[in-house]
Amino acid sequence: MTVPDLDPVIHAQARLRVVATLNALCEGDQIAFPGLKDLLGMTAGNLSVHLTKLEDAGYVEITKTHKGRTPVTYVALTRRGRLAFEEYTVAIRALLGGDT
Amino acid sequence: MDEEDLSPAEMLRLIEEQGAAVARRLQPDPLVMYAPWGVAWLVGFGAFFLSYGLDGRPVVPISWQLALAILFGGQVLAGAFLFWALRASSVQVRGESAQRGMMYGYSWFVGMMAMSLIVGRFAPLLPRDQVGLLYASVSLLVVAILYMAGGAVWREWPMFFIGAWVAAVNAVGTTLGPGWHSLLISLLVGGGFFVAGIVLRRRG
Repeated sequence: MTVPDLDPVIHAQARLRVVATLNALCEGDQIAFPGLKDLLGMTAGNLSVHLTKLEDAGYVEITKTHKGRTPVTYVALTRRGRLAFEEYTVAIRALLGGDT
Repeated sequence: MDEEDLSPAEMLRLIEEQGAAVARRLQPDPLVMYAPWGVAWLVGFGAFFLSYGLDGRPVVPISWQLALAILFGGQVLAGAFLFWALRASSVQVRGESAQRGMMYGYSWFVGMMAMSLIVGRFAPLLPRDQVGLLYASVSLLVVAILYMAGGAVWREWPMFFIGAWVAAVNAVGTTLGPGWHSLLISLLVGGGFFVAGIVLRRRG
């Protein structure tokens, strides 16, 4: 069996969960940081660290904006991130011997 | 945390669980979406049925004004509850799906406004019980079409079929007359929404 290379950026449990969550949003949608934090059950600090890594890899796009006077941060998966997640899932399935 | 030590099977399970958890959080609870309207219509159209009777004699002497107040009051309560519930449970997402939801929301508003202007133009020409039937049947037609359209937008077959069901019951009830229309809408649409909310909640 050939073992495909697994994407090291995604191949960490926490980041995989972040990417899987963002991938479940519709394409073209952004989620507010607190909402993402709730969905993942992570601390803000922990999530920030992982998001930065994902942003550096070009997988995640972070938009900082204002709602009234309060700053709001929105997070979305980039097209590249979506593709990387898809490839990662395919690779995992291949490792498990599935045919997709 | 020994993060890197998951087996591929565990990784895959993690991906699937997370995807399902997000879908659950982002989709509104069907019980909240359907049951309040179901109760409002069951009671409101039930009151109209009692007021009209099937053969023109009231089953219980309720004035049409009181029946209308019950129907309207129930709908206002259902709408307020839905708004509150969606607010409370909504995760802040912006982008294409939020725009889709907003356009869909405005469709209800515009559709109902246009409906009441159009029906209002013809209402004075009809006997009173027929006026009630005209308002009820045309507004339920708007409801039916918007549910079907909503089903198409979100690819939700249950929502589409519920809309088609409303259209069918509404059409049949209208041909039978005001008393029958109220009875069928109360039981089959009002009761149907209530049951649909419970069934969809259990299934989801």
